[in-house]
Amino acid sequence: MIEVQHLTKRYGPVTAVDDVSFRVEKGEILGFLGPNGAGKTTTMRVLTGYMPATEGSAVVAGYDVFAQPLEAKRRTGYLPETPPLYPDMTVREYLTFVARIKAGKLSTAERNERVNNVMRKAHVDDMANRACGKLSKGYRQRVGLAQALIHDPEVLILDEPTAGLDPKQIMETRDLIRGLAGDHTIVLSTHILPEVAQTCQRVVIINKGRVVAIDTPENLTHQLKGAATIYLQVDGAGDAAEALQAVPGVRTVTVADQHGSRIGYEVESEENSDVRREVAQAIVGRGWGLLELRPMRMSLEDIFLQLTTEEQVQEAQHG
Amino acid sequence: MASTMRNVMAIAGKELRSYFGSPVAWVLMGFFAFVFGYFFNVYLDYFVKSATQGGQFGPPPTTNVNNDMIRPLLGNTSVLILFLLPAITMRTYSEEKKSGTIELLLTSPLTDLEITLGKFLGAVGVYMGLLAVTVVYVAVLFGLGKPEWKPLVGAYIGLALLGSCFISLGLFVSSTTKNQVVAGFVTFILALMFWIINWFAESAGPQVGAVLNYLSVTQHLEDFSKGVVDTKHLVFYLSFIVFGLFLTLKSVDSERWRG
Repeated sequence: MIEVQHLTKRYGPVTAVDDVSFRVEKGEILGFLGPNGAGKTTTMRVLTGYMPATEGSAVVAGYDVFAQPLEAKRRTGYLPETPPLYPDMTVREYLTFVARIKAGKLSTAERNERVNNVMRKAHVDDMANRACGKLSKGYRQRVGLAQALIHDPEVLILDEPTAGLDPKQIMETRDLIRGLAGDHTIVLSTHILPEVAQTCQRVVIINKGRVVAIDTPENLTHQLKGAATIYLQVDGAGDAAEALQAVPGVRTVTVADQHGSRIGYEVESEENSDVRREVAQAIVGRGWGLLELRPMRMSLEDIFLQLTTEEQVQEAQHG
Repeated sequence: MASTMRNVMAIAGKELRSYFGSPVAWVLMGFFAFVFGYFFNVYLDYFVKSATQGGQFGPPPTTNVNNDMIRPLLGNTSVLILFLLPAITMRTYSEEKKSGTIELLLTSPLTDLEITLGKFLGAVGVYMGLLAVTVVYVAVLFGLGKPEWKPLVGAYIGLALLGSCFISLGLFVSSTTKNQVVAGFVTFILALMFWIINWFAESAGPQVGAVLNYLSVTQHLEDFSKGVVDTKHLVFYLSFIVFGLFLTLKSVDSERWRG
């Protein structure tokens, strides 16, 4: 449904997007994850035909966005980072205008029907006659989403759709987006990590314009867990590090925290070996108090940080 | 073709709505009506005085409502629009660029030409609204006397073309900046330049002088107000407009590349 190949965008000497390739299957939700300034917005702007790429190609819904921009745009709904609202128009007027320029030829009745539909979908129907400029941030964002949906596009491109929303609205918006997948192919960008895990089927992690990883959130977590880490808190041992180090399969032991006689350790084990039982045995067998023992799951956040910092380290080495 | 028309009208309609939905158009229209009304009164007073008092000393002067009243009045109007039209065009692109709504337009299935033409027509629509205000005053004259309609129609065509040139220029300037005030000011300066460029014609020598004279937007207005619609002048105004729109298109396109 979306196929991006070797996309590069330079602004003068600055390379905002560097040789990015990925594809999105029909009905899938792809998350675009990266720190601010990583090139997410630029990539999306290229996909939506807002700006041309310096090199590479992008095909959206079967149409090359450079060669047949109008056909591609007809099939793409786009929510930019700031919802593009006209402050003087009411929500209804605004959506009617967007329907006029995006949905092609429609009778007035059909157009009204569409406007009512998307207002219901995006939960903004209670603000239909309010001026867009007087809406709260949450409503603006949702009117922006309604606008992107108005021509029932095959592809939806959402740049930080939950930015600025309160937690309840974030949940609602995520539900809405998940509900849209299937009928629509969705690319959304975010720098909020749990969002990706909760909404997306696949993740593209992008940093400094380059794709660092593409996979499902689960695979990314799994793949990068590599060496598993467990956390345990021991009481009355003095120093348990040596005993822990002696357990077969344990790679490193570090002291994480210390409260009086209670000491917390982080134990990193070899890949694919579960050392929890042996570690517990080692502590309890020596008569120490084992207060806590839990696996330290690597969150997407850790992965993200790991990937993006690895990149920096590599770059530093090359440089 | 039908879809082009529909898209252009959608943009033009949106532009008109935003002009009249905000105070901009109304304030301008009010101001315009006030100043025009003032001029109208001054000229009417002068005209009536010269027509009635003239006879006391010697033969009655030949007075003509077209030459002595309507023409200078519409001449003043052309000065007035030099000030007012930049205020209409300054927001066209600048505001959309600043608020980010340009992203909506440029990612919609519209061509840049459709957007530019829509904005042009919207601004021209407001301008026509301004001119319509003056028609009310002129209609009063038709109620009281018998002005010739030909030079009047000519003058209006000339005014409409002159204003459209300024609008086309204003669109281009607005498309180059996010700052409305800058856009308005620069448009005014440029329009003024095209206004007074023939002042330098005399001192510039015959060849350059002729060019400067030709470029002056006011030189072409003269014939219109005599009721003569000359192709020469039509071509000048129309090419001015087309060139302005062309520059606007290029400016929007280059903005895409630069981001």
